[in-house]
Amino acid sequence: MLRHLLQRGLDLVIVLFGISAIVFLMIRLIPGDAVAIMLGANTEVTPERLAAMRAELGLDKPLIEQYLSWVGRALHGDFGTSIWTGRPVIQEIAAQIWPTLELTFLALLFGAVLAVPLGCLMAQWRGGKADLVLRLGAIAGLTIPSFWLGIVMLIAVAAWLPGFASLGYVPFSEDPLGNLQRMLLPAVALALPILANLSRLVRSAMLDALGQDYVRTARAKGLAENAVLYRHALRNALIPFVTSVGIMAGYLLGGAIVVEQVFSIPGLGRLILGAIAERNYPLVQATILVVTVGFVAVNALVDLAYALIDPRLRTAS
Amino acid sequence: MHRDVRQGSKLSRRLRCGIAAAAFLLAAGTAGAQTLEVAVEASPAGLDPHIVTAFASSQIVLGPIYEGLTALDKDLNIVPGLAQSWTMSADGKTVTFKLRPGVTFHDGKPMEAEDVASSLRRVVSKDVGSPLASRLAAMESATAVDATTLELKLKEPSAPLLASLTGIAIVPRGLEANKDALQRAPVGTGPFKFEEWRPNGFIRLAKHAGYWNAAGVKLAGVKFNFVPEAATRAVGIGNGQFALLPHIDAATAMQLEGKPNVTMQKTQELAYTLIGMNVSKPPFDNAKVREALNYALNRKEIIDAALFGAGAPAAPLPPVLKDWAVEVKDLPCYAYDPAKAQALLKESGVALPISVSMTMLPRQDIRDIAQVVQQQLGKVGIKVELKNPELGQFVQDWRNSNFDLFASTNAGSIEPDDYFYRAFRTGGSTNVFKYSNPELDALLDKGRATLDKPARQTIYRDVQKILGCTGPAAHIAYPTLFSAVRGNLQGYQIYANRSLVSLGGASLR
Repeated sequence: MLRHLLQRGLDLVIVLFGISAIVFLMIRLIPGDAVAIMLGANTEVTPERLAAMRAELGLDKPLIEQYLSWVGRALHGDFGTSIWTGRPVIQEIAAQIWPTLELTFLALLFGAVLAVPLGCLMAQWRGGKADLVLRLGAIAGLTIPSFWLGIVMLIAVAAWLPGFASLGYVPFSEDPLGNLQRMLLPAVALALPILANLSRLVRSAMLDALGQDYVRTARAKGLAENAVLYRHALRNALIPFVTSVGIMAGYLLGGAIVVEQVFSIPGLGRLILGAIAERNYPLVQATILVVTVGFVAVNALVDLAYALIDPRLRTAS
Repeated sequence: MHRDVRQGSKLSRRLRCGIAAAAFLLAAGTAGAQTLEVAVEASPAGLDPHIVTAFASSQIVLGPIYEGLTALDKDLNIVPGLAQSWTMSADGKTVTFKLRPGVTFHDGKPMEAEDVASSLRRVVSKDVGSPLASRLAAMESATAVDATTLELKLKEPSAPLLASLTGIAIVPRGLEANKDALQRAPVGTGPFKFEEWRPNGFIRLAKHAGYWNAAGVKLAGVKFNFVPEAATRAVGIGNGQFALLPHIDAATAMQLEGKPNVTMQKTQELAYTLIGMNVSKPPFDNAKVREALNYALNRKEIIDAALFGAGAPAAPLPPVLKDWAVEVKDLPCYAYDPAKAQALLKESGVALPISVSMTMLPRQDIRDIAQVVQQQLGKVGIKVELKNPELGQFVQDWRNSNFDLFASTNAGSIEPDDYFYRAFRTGGSTNVFKYSNPELDALLDKGRATLDKPARQTIYRDVQKILGCTGPAAHIAYPTLFSAVRGNLQGYQIYANRSLVSLGGASLR
């Protein structure tokens, strides 16, 4: 187990280095640098002023030198300051990470918690009309983009419940009710594709499990159908489910970018979108590192969860 | 199974009731607040009035938070701001300002002539590197004679001075080498003081109790919410979460038209859309080709197709500046005449058909305009390939004159010199066209130094005649600017220069 954890830790370090180098290069390879964009079209600037600003931000040095000095400072916990606001990027991220975490958590909770019973029901009713309806619903959920769903829900709620505050963000600590109210629509918009995806997965995993010999044995010894389903089949069907939940958590951060834009939630997604548009190099690099750490950490947790579900994996390592 | 379905619908009915109840409780809880909720598209990059120039920043900064020595009324006349009156010496090189007494900054300190002098020096200071510096290029010195008298000495007479001063905010003294202090914590003299900034969330301002006209300020504060999605802003003003969407375009305005409780204010913008030509290389180095391009454009059709008819065909100056502007109908080259365009192209000696590329500012109205222009130019034998870069790429290509044609927008003001000097004079700071015309240069220099208004009018009339034919920019339209206003907001007035200064006297019922 310990070796397993160490292996994971090592993976994380390698992934982080790889990502940091790629991100560093990519953001600099897009044409248009921070200074040009900061000054924008239409303002009066001289070439000397552009050069002075570039020098001030260290953008005039060779790329490799810029990268190494960034890595050096990052290893000391200094991720630099935002080019536009002059605040440490860690502060910028800390100020905006909570809405995204909350949104991701709620969407995942909503999607995963509903997916298990839905998937089981679909498997149980396999071939029936209810199964067909649910499966059509799931395909719709998969194919309808979250941002579109978000806008439609916004417009619908505005038309039918005019007093319902659906935009923006209020911290949970300040106003719990207002927070949940504003989070409801974006969480649902984000959760539906997950719900669709996971419930289909549970369905097929359950069908798979129900065809196995041990299920036949369980039935043969006279166990009630529900006990067969939930105690034997479901437990085995959960392994691919848990893997997918882990991967979804990572993609949710990406989905959150679009949904945050629609519902005007000040989260990581909008931070990173703005940072890329502004070529705010230190902010882009640090935010992507944070997201990467989150992704790898969630997947490590998923590995641990396997051990809880499947005793065989406990001894194997 | 049947039973399950019924249960489900009962549950969802209960859920719906719950949501409605929660919504009602919340709506009741927020009633009685006097802070104006405004939704704007983009967050400002910073709040230092001498450093930020983009609309996203300046509409929040100048007017609500900061004031200048002079100001503009809603008809764009120059009126006293922090200066109560001013006198000019006979040679036009000394201007003496008498300041409004009893003005205090948001930090409680009184505003005195030394603060004004320091502010003006800050704008031209190398350490701050303000993009506004060129507006004070004529300034030699600014001195405080006493607490309420400021003397401004000029190197040469400057006709645009009073107009320029409307855009230069007065900040506290002692910041002449400091370009960081005001970016996140502005200190001005305006009706609202800065309270809180949540990045990507909102900026909140509160009433400045020490404002010189505090009795006139009826709002407890103003909150600028950053809402990037147009559809989301529309929903927000529809359900009353926002009371004002300032300065929106025709497409958004049309979606909101007819919504209950929302009224629309409109004015004609000072900024204009244009097709820019690169005169440093063929084919647009040829004056005849530039002239032909103007004849080939049907501005009315462009406005109808791309701006939903919400705009006026553009001459080099907007019709709102009625003392200065030459009307479009008096510019022969801006009349639609494709036959003449074709004849000119033949005369020009350039090989036909011409193939060029046009890079577009990534904004929907500009893209729409560019597509119509592409069609119209195609009809006279100019083949246009459209390029649709992302903003960073556009700015870079624009600044490096890396284009044949570009479609974009240029900001405007109430001063002809602002429209022409930096964009069209040889070596001007935004002369990306690489245009150089000694005759025009001489006129522009003379226009700056001439104080006599009729003489100045003649000069700019000539400038417009030159630019409005063989100039490097085909002016397309002055778009109509809209603000969506909720019924309970009173006293808001849309300004052609996108100023939100009227919020100082607005109120919520």
